[in-house]
Formats: sequence, structure tokens, C-alpha cells
Amino acid sequence: MSTPPGPHARLTGGLLLWFGVLGGAVAWAVHLLAAWGLDELACAAGSERVSAVPLVQAVGLAVVIPALVTVGSLLVAALVWRRTMRAQRAGAQDRAFGRSRMLAVVGVWANLLFLTIIVLSGIAVLVLPPCQR
Amino acid sequence: MSTTTTPSPGASREDLARLAEHWGERPSLRAWFATVDHKRIGRRYLVTAGFFFVLAGLNALVMRTQLARPEAGVVSPQEYNQLFSMHGIAMIFLFATPMLFGFGNFLVPLMIGSRDMAFPRLNAFGYWVFLFAGLFMWASLPFGAAPNNGWFAYVPLSGEQNNPGLHMDVYALGLLFLGISTTAAAINFIVTALKLRAPGMSLNRVPLFVWAIVATAFMVIFALPALNLDNAMLFLDRRFGTHFFDPAAGGNVLLWQHLFWIFGHPDVYIIVMPALGIVSAVLPAFTRRGVVGYPLIVLSIVAIAIISFGVWVHHMFATGLPQLSYSFFSAASTVITIPSGLQIFAWLATMLLGRLVIRVPLLFVIGFVVTFVLGGFTGVMFALTAFDQQVTDSYFVVAHFHYVLIGGAVFPMLAGIYYWLPKITGRMYHERLGRWAFWLVFAGMHVTFFPMHLYGLFGMPRRVYTYRSEPGWAGWNLVSTVGSYLLAVGLLLVLVGVVHAVRRGRPAPADPWDGDSLEWSTASPPEPHNFPVLPRVHSLHPMWDERTAESVGPGATSDRILSEGRHTLFTSELDAHPERAVQMPEPTLKPLVLAAALLLFFTSMLFAWYPVAAVAALTVAATIAVWLWPPRPLEQDLKVVP
Repeated sequence: MSTPPGPHARLTGGLLLWFGVLGGAVAWAVHLLAAWGLDELACAAGSERVSAVPLVQAVGLAVVIPALVTVGSLLVAALVWRRTMRAQRAGAQDRAFGRSRMLAVVGVWANLLFLTIIVLSGIAVLVLPPCQR
Repeated sequence: MSTTTTPSPGASREDLARLAEHWGERPSLRAWFATVDHKRIGRRYLVTAGFFFVLAGLNALVMRTQLARPEAGVVSPQEYNQLFSMHGIAMIFLFATPMLFGFGNFLVPLMIGSRDMAFPRLNAFGYWVFLFAGLFMWASLPFGAAPNNGWFAYVPLSGEQNNPGLHMDVYALGLLFLGISTTAAAINFIVTALKLRAPGMSLNRVPLFVWAIVATAFMVIFALPALNLDNAMLFLDRRFGTHFFDPAAGGNVLLWQHLFWIFGHPDVYIIVMPALGIVSAVLPAFTRRGVVGYPLIVLSIVAIAIISFGVWVHHMFATGLPQLSYSFFSAASTVITIPSGLQIFAWLATMLLGRLVIRVPLLFVIGFVVTFVLGGFTGVMFALTAFDQQVTDSYFVVAHFHYVLIGGAVFPMLAGIYYWLPKITGRMYHERLGRWAFWLVFAGMHVTFFPMHLYGLFGMPRRVYTYRSEPGWAGWNLVSTVGSYLLAVGLLLVLVGVVHAVRRGRPAPADPWDGDSLEWSTASPPEPHNFPVLPRVHSLHPMWDERTAESVGPGATSDRILSEGRHTLFTSELDAHPERAVQMPEPTLKPLVLAAALLLFFTSMLFAWYPVAAVAALTVAATIAVWLWPPRPLEQDLKVVP
């Protein structure tokens, strides 16, 4: 029986935990709306540019930036998972650690799924001309 | 395994008498209309949705009779259009979601150790709106004014110019009306699951069925506004001459499809998700172990709920959008199969590692796995744009979604009906009758829908009221029709089994299955207050856990008995730490009055009786004001104010 290690306690709640759980989901949603919206609207207007930026590069940014955010979210989720596991091994009794650990597992796998979707979309950006119908 | 097979003795006789006084309802006509008890409302959802299911099923039988042979004349083309439209609308909106919400209403408070839903009056209101909206839509059919444009009502065919009459007004107004009920229920589920869980039920101890219902509720909150907006614009276009979907005036027909499918594809999961939750709830009792990979199933539920919002364009692969746009949605449509498959493998592993107890609920779960996986296979095929474009609008699509929806929703519902019938009615069902029902439903389903893959690939388009004999579709269509009658006999046996159980079934014990979740700690059927003592939860399987059982035994403290009034306990969202006792509302007629006023409003709008609609709108506003008016403080409350 021991008290929860102090430095780990903040990982059982708060914004950092939720970034690890849902960061990839939010990044993917932004990627989808931005990439699809840019492609759809630019092509409907008969242009392959967004202001001065070529459409492919604009859509590419809408892939790369969310992908990086998702990687960050994945790392945070993995960190929470490791630390809560250590805390539980050290004998922490607070059930918040068990709950945080489960959320961290959900976060790790969810971020991998969202990263996969973004990467697959990125491959399509490399392969397909933006306005081909 | 089970340590608690009868309701807990932790409350004294005086406490039980007080609980019965505060929560009980004396039988009367007024009490019947005014009830806010989640169990009665849940049962009403189940019965009403079942009734609409029977009506929609009869529609299907007429359609299959018409299609049994080429160029038959059982119904006219106009009647056929209304039949297939009402069949789809009723199955999706009036049966599947309300039936699963009925399970949720009955079970969520019992599973999380609460005495009611968070908003009992809103719950009653949601039911009355559902009932009235369903009757509003079904009443149009005998008058030949039912929706006739399919369940997704594409413009411009659903516009006033191409589709005069009340048909699509019934559709738009009916779904707007129904949406009020669905939204109210979703809000109620979310708050209930977040705030009313028994002490100790942290997020990692929440039953998978509750996770599924909450995820579904969030999906409803985010998806339904798109459908409501679509229908509001359709009604405005048709009735008041706006041009949202009129390209000649700057509108856009694809706007309808985008908004519809932003709702429509999540809706597939809105239907299937709670049903998958039922599977996760049923399996432990019949495999004698917990479901394998609890965190991964939670992941699957959360991931599906989110990704389902990014796949809608795969319903529009034939609309001529840029290929790159398709690819974003194609990627999501492909990846969403991973969490779905994860659940299937988790259930298979559970069955493999557990000790199977072959009873009717488990048979339906096994039937679900077989059928849903086959539907999933064809679903993956649609994620490939090139294949999708070949089979769009053919019977292949009809086969696919019936495998998904009957396999993924109806089979689990039937498993749930047999599993929880003892808890809901207090009576056991007839096992042999149930087995006959299973085999007939299983065989009937596959004989009906498997041939549709074939004649879909042979080129038969969907939504045709008849066909010529030359293409060679006649034989397969006859097989489908024979199968549909077989399926109907199986479903009739389910109904017979339920009626038999209610009238002649032997009394059910509190826990006939040695189940693992908290509903099995209550009496069968549960008392109005559900739990004499609110349990303290110590594990994911509270009924298989000694400490949870002890928490409702002698020595339970008054903060979990709460017999001084109509009270239940608020707990914290993440870890279910007790916060405070809350007063729950008494039975009231206000929800019924408000729903009736809304019915009057929507009926008046349908028939363009605008002065009556204005009066109805004022009645709605007045009823809401009375409902929300702060109650006068009781005298004893005034005395404690410093």
C-alpha cells in the first residue's frame, strides 16, 4: 500500500491525457475537412491553385500538419500508458490510474488508426491529379 | 460464479417501505399517461418499435409477393413506391433506433446502478414524440399519401415539381418531428451515463453496452442536425418556394446528398452500435467469462463513432466528384473495417476461451456473427470506388445492407429480447420455441437476401416494381420471396414466444443466467426504485465480484439507500466518486401535453392550416414555460436558508 507517485498524478486527468486520447481524431477531422474542402472548392471553381499556392501543395499541407499532430498525440498516449503502468506496479491504489491506463490504450490504438487514414490519403495526393474526375 | 442472485438485504424494512412509497405508482389511467419510470418507458419503446417493425415487415411481404414473378400486378407502381419508401423509413427511423433506445432506456440505469434516467420527464416526452411521429407517418399510407421517394429522398425527384402531393411533406415533417425524440433521448443517455453511475464505476468498469449507447448518443447529437437541416430546406423548397436545391436559382442538388449522408452513414452505426453492445452484454453469461479485450472494444466503439463521420462520400462515388476527394473517404471507409473486425475477433476469442452454454440468446449471437461478417465483406468491396460504381443502385446493394442491418441489428436485438425477457417481464421464455424461431429466422434471412447478391450482379436495379422475364432474374426472385415468408414465420414465432412467456412462462429468478452486470442484482422485474441499496462497484463484472455483493448487504450506509425521498446519487464523470443526492421528478402529464401540441403543430403544417399551427406553437411555448418554471421552495427548504 503506497500513495500514488506525485509526478504521475497529473497524467490521470487534464488536457494532456485528453490530447493523447482524442488528439488524433481531431487532427484527422481537420485533415478531412481541409483537404476535401480545398480540393472540392478549387476544382469546382476551375482552378488548381489556392491563392498563390498550387492546389497539390495546399492539400499536402492539409495532410502533413495533421499527421504530425497525430504523431504527437500518439507519443503522449504512449507516455501516459507507460507512466500509469509504472504507478500501478509501484502499488498506487487510486482507481484513476486504472481508468487513465485504459484511456491511454484507447489513445495509442486510436491514434494509429487515424494516422493510417491520413497516410493513405497522403499517398492519394501523391498519385492522383487533384481535379481528375 | 454469481454471488448475488436475489435483491440485496442491505436496506431495512422501513427503508424499503419508504422507497416503495416515494417511487411506486398506484395503477390508474392518469398514472399510465403520467409515468416517468424508465422501465415502463423502455418497455413502451420496445412494444411500439416492435409494432412498427411488424407494419414495415408486412410492407416487405407485399413487395416480395409482387416481385415473386415477372410482370406481376399485385400492386401498382405508385403503391410500390410508397411501400418500399415506408419500409425503409420505418425500419431505419421507427424500428431500429427506437428499439435499441428502448433497450437502453430499460437497461442503462439498471446496468450503472441508478434509480432512473437523468431526465425522467424528458424521457417520457421522447417516447410520446416517437409514438406520435410514427403514427403521423404511418397514417399517410392508407390515404395513398405516404413518402414515395425512397428512404433517402433524393432531390430533384423529391421536389414539388417532380413529386406533387403530400408524400414528401409527410417525409420531411415526420422526420423533423421524430428528430426531437431522438435528440432528447441521446442527451438523456449521455448525462445519465456520465453522472448517475454507481460509486466506484470508473470509466474502465462501465459495461460495454453502456459505452455503446453513449457513443451512439454522441453520434446522434452530431449527425441528426444535418438531416434536420436537409428536411427543413426540402420542406421550405416544396411549400414556400425557396431554392436550396434548385440549380437554376443558384441551389445545388448535391447539397441534399452531402447533408443526408453526413447523417446517413453514421446512422448505420447508430443502428448497429447499440446492437453490438447487446452482443458484448450477452456473451459473458453464455461463455462464463468476460469479453476478451475490453479496452480494445472500447477503442473500437470510440473509433467507429468518430470515423463514421468521415465516410459519407462513399455513398456518392457515382456523382462525379474529383477522384482525389473520393480517396480521402475511401481511406476512412477502408480503415473503419479494422475496429469493426476487432470486435468480431474479440467475440470469437471470448467464445473460444470460454465455456459455451448453448441457449437461444447465444444462438442469435452466433447467427449475428455469421451474417454480419458476410455483410461486412461486401461493405469492404464498396470502399473500392471502381467496384462501387459497377453495382450502385443494383440489388447487390440491397443484399449488402440487409446483411448488415438484419445481421448487425435484428439478430442482436433478438438475442437481447430472449436474454432480458426474464428481467423485463419477470417470466422465462420457452426454450424449444425459441430455437425453432432462431433456425427459421436464420434460414429465412439467408434464403431471402443471398440471391439478391446474384441478381444484383446480373444487373437487376433496385426500386423497380416489376421486371421482364428475359434477363433470367425470375427464378432467383422467387427464391427470395419464399425466403421472406420463411423469415416472417420465424419472426412470428418470436412474437408467439414473447406472448407465451408473458402469459404462461414460469416466474423468472433475479438472475437466471448468472450474468455479470448490475441489472441481474435487481428483482425480476425490478422494483420501481430499482436498487434498495445503490451498489459500490469494485470491478468490471460486479455480479461476479464478492466485494460489490457485500456493498449492498448489511451495513450499507444511508448515503446509498436514500430512502428519505425520490432520490438518486450524482457521481463524478470519470471515476464515479459520490458527489450528492439529487431529487428526481414526480410523474407528470406535461410531457404528453407537449408532445400532443407538437403533433398538432406538425399536422397543421402538413395541411397548411397555418393559424392552427400558430396556436399549436403557442401551446408548445406555454407548456415548455410551465415545465421549466422554477418550483416554489418548500417550507422546510425556506427555513434552512440562513
